[in-house]
Amino acid sequence: MRSKLFLPLVAAICSFFAISANAQSYAITNARIVTVSGATIEKGTVVIRNGLIDAVGANITAPADAQVFDATGLTVYPGFFDTLTNLGLGAAPAAPAGGGGRGGGPVAAAPASAAPQPTSNSNYPAGLRPEEVTSDDLRAGEAQFEANRNAGFTTVLSVGRTGIFNGQSAVINLAGENVSDMVIKSPFAEHISFVTLGSGGYPQSLLGTFAALRQMLYDAQRLQEWEKAYAANPKGMKRPEADKSLEALFPIVSGKMPVVFNANTEREIIRAIDLIKEFRLNGIIAGGQEAWKVADRLKANNVAVLLSLNFPKRTTASSPDADPEPLETLRTRAETPKGAGKLAAAGVKFAFESGGATAIGDFFTNAGKAVEAGLSKDAAVRAMTLGAAEILGVDNRLGSIEAGKIANLALVKGDLFGRDKFVPQIIIDGKVFEQKEPVRPPAGGRGQGGGGQTPAGPSLSGSYTINIDVPGSPLSSTLNFTQSGSGLTGTMVSSATGSAAIRDGKVTGNSFSFTTTVVFGGANLDITVSGSVSGNTITGTVDSAAGAVPFSGTKNP
Amino acid sequence: MKKITVYFALLFLLLSSLRLPVAAQSKNSVLIKNATVMTAVKGTLESTDILVENGKITKIGKGLAAPAGANVIDATGKYVTPGIIDCHSHSMLDAINEGAFSVTSMTRTRDMLNPTDITIYRALAGGVTSANLLHGSANSIGGQNTTVKFKWGHPVEDYPIADAPPGIKFAMGENVRQTTQAPQPGRPLRYPRTRQGTIQTMRDAFVRARDYKQSWDDFKAGKTKVQPRTDLELQPLVEVLEGKRLVHCHGYRSDEHLNLMLLADEFGFKIATLQHGLEAYKIAPEIAKRGTGVSIFTDSWGYKLEAYDAIPYNAYILWKNGVNVSINSDSDERMRRLNLDAAKVEKYGGVPEQDALQMITLNPAKQLGIDKRTGSIEIGKDGDLVVWSDHPFSVFSRVETTLIEGEVYFDRKKDGQLRLDMAKERETLEKLDVNKAPATGGGPPRIPATTRQAERDDAEYGDGGHR
Repeated sequence: MRSKLFLPLVAAICSFFAISANAQSYAITNARIVTVSGATIEKGTVVIRNGLIDAVGANITAPADAQVFDATGLTVYPGFFDTLTNLGLGAAPAAPAGGGGRGGGPVAAAPASAAPQPTSNSNYPAGLRPEEVTSDDLRAGEAQFEANRNAGFTTVLSVGRTGIFNGQSAVINLAGENVSDMVIKSPFAEHISFVTLGSGGYPQSLLGTFAALRQMLYDAQRLQEWEKAYAANPKGMKRPEADKSLEALFPIVSGKMPVVFNANTEREIIRAIDLIKEFRLNGIIAGGQEAWKVADRLKANNVAVLLSLNFPKRTTASSPDADPEPLETLRTRAETPKGAGKLAAAGVKFAFESGGATAIGDFFTNAGKAVEAGLSKDAAVRAMTLGAAEILGVDNRLGSIEAGKIANLALVKGDLFGRDKFVPQIIIDGKVFEQKEPVRPPAGGRGQGGGGQTPAGPSLSGSYTINIDVPGSPLSSTLNFTQSGSGLTGTMVSSATGSAAIRDGKVTGNSFSFTTTVVFGGANLDITVSGSVSGNTITGTVDSAAGAVPFSGTKNP
Repeated sequence: MKKITVYFALLFLLLSSLRLPVAAQSKNSVLIKNATVMTAVKGTLESTDILVENGKITKIGKGLAAPAGANVIDATGKYVTPGIIDCHSHSMLDAINEGAFSVTSMTRTRDMLNPTDITIYRALAGGVTSANLLHGSANSIGGQNTTVKFKWGHPVEDYPIADAPPGIKFAMGENVRQTTQAPQPGRPLRYPRTRQGTIQTMRDAFVRARDYKQSWDDFKAGKTKVQPRTDLELQPLVEVLEGKRLVHCHGYRSDEHLNLMLLADEFGFKIATLQHGLEAYKIAPEIAKRGTGVSIFTDSWGYKLEAYDAIPYNAYILWKNGVNVSINSDSDERMRRLNLDAAKVEKYGGVPEQDALQMITLNPAKQLGIDKRTGSIEIGKDGDLVVWSDHPFSVFSRVETTLIEGEVYFDRKKDGQLRLDMAKERETLEKLDVNKAPATGGGPPRIPATTRQAERDDAEYGDGGHR
């Protein structure tokens, strides 16, 4: 529904053109080229032919048949990877079991019954069917990937998100009208979530989840041996059961196919590592919010991490009578951005994934936060290009700008990790997609929750009753506003602080700010109040030397 | 300004979210000086020192010299007991019941250990050093137990006691029958629905386990070609039949517990403990004859129909009959006050002090098969020790220090400092941008949580795994 409404809009601002096969090549000139596999070329050319990178270098001349794009001022990166998504699958996007995590809201234990289950004649219930393959369920058509391409992504790992066995994932390019055009590698890995079956059947608890996983892995090991023995000499031997669910586990128990465990907390990750050791699996962790706490174990067991960039953030102000947030939540928000740097320092292989983030742009800005928190920029770029390709086993064809590799490129204007990053061109399998830069709202208009963009809002004059969320002792107060033009005067009144006159009052659109001095706890306290009015609702922040606290309230009739 | 007082008022709440890092110190040697030592086996020793070296008690006596670098704890005027052992706990488990089947012997509480659970630290503050972490009582045969030491701050693999014999939870009565629970819409009723069905479910499982064992024996003897399945459900029951796995069976009515022991007689093994057993006094001689232990509450009853026929003299009568009795908590909260539950046994019937102390130390150690290493203060045993401010059976007594294998895991003085450190840390963290609420959220204020942590601690009986 939403995507249907979105498409005409996308079509209006985007266009793409294909380089006609064989006849023509495409050359990006005067670009800064971050090859990732080698040194960065400050000014050079990339030549693309037949969907592959034909040449790259500082002293390359564009071929005579080339359509030339002057990329002065732009940086060319290998196309970016998002190493865990459900792109291309029919189900509505949902937060993965491995996403969010502590501090970002409850970890969703997505029940297996959330999505309609295709009919299956497996011996196992929905959620315990490792034979299900993502590439069987992919939707054809590249329009569905528009938003992800525009953000800079060319390649993703895609898999369903429900059940204990999520199914076998696929590495796909975000272009191509047919599924066969999209798929780079399928299957890549079996994905496992530590969840229960919402159906009411076994397992109903995490205790059973681990027991059920173990039993299936043991049964698969046995069936594999049995089938081998039977193939060698069937005479006098009971025929092995043709169990497609167990057979799907053969490449896993023999270590040929990786197993991705969705695990965010330290103990979930340790449980996954314990299973990896117990069954000698080729294991990978996805999510990995607390992976840095067990970096030594990950390193020792050669377990790579698909690290979520969906960092936990505080989304709402608490209500006045809510308990203070748990210290662990506060810590997790502060520590999570440092995780990537710590994994890098410990020598753990990792690649970034979006972790079910609703705002796709957070991927790059949060990678920037990881850089601020200690990860080198090069390592951050690697974790979304060549490092990702290595973990997904496609580094011989993707992940860097080298002659002979698939022509997946992202042209970036501005700082890759900055808010103003823009991707004017993305190239996938040699196909060029263009995006026109949107007109930006005037400076100062952003960050006001939409309120600031409304021109000439109604006068803020009036009386408002607000609750100020001072931890442990919420305060009720009344704001009496008189607006004249962009000026604001009036009083702030409460039983605890008395009446105080507003100073330096300003109004911009629906937003306001002022300072005042109140008597609080027997002492004068200078406070700065800022906020906005939307309809009858007023929200904002009271800032002082004692810290910032949110407030909210309503206009008095 | 006022903020600091607010923080102090909230300290208790803060604790619930915290993993207190207790600095690891040298395990090499600890000398507890001049204590009143309640050994739990050889009476109470006045003005006595205890030396713990490399985790083991090496000397008990007067005027012991401190080895170089030893951590010396002055316990003048204080009491020392062995670490308390809780023989029925569901602490630090992320999941307690797998209720989908009537037999879930394939599940392992070991998989569910959460070493960040604050109840561990609180248990240490009540002098508890070891616990029997059991599956819940939702089914006739539940999951495998884990016998742990509460090594707070250590990685999860340090918790299980490596040489403790494995065990398993069984259950009988109302929780298993599910007849007191409203049926869930769309969920079929689960067999068994009666007490006779419960014992039959157990018998059936053991018959299947016996057949399973036979199938492996036949395969090993070359009688069959295809290797049998590794059956995670039946394997632990084979271990029960072979006497290698301890059965801890939840139950209330004496007729049911007697039936269980007769079933064990039939299959040739011994029940390790009858858990709860509020009516065990009625069959004390039968229990004593088989060498089965009983693990009870001292005076908690009446919370469901099958828990009515209870008396506070249960422990005394069992003890008088020579039964090994332990007193357990089955509760994260009551676990911290097991010393007072032991004191009650002195009051009701007059069990001697040392025998009462044994009911929370040596007796549960024997029931769990860990009495060679813990449960009493004797040379050669683990340095699992509790320093009390007063006689541990006094309501005024508080735990000052709790040690496991000579390492301090709870120290009341350090605890005070940790609280201040946490308040400071919170102040710093709350100032970070990432922890500030967005100024213009737009949405309505959040509806407050209906239950707060402090209330939740008391509301644990809603969980089918308890009692």
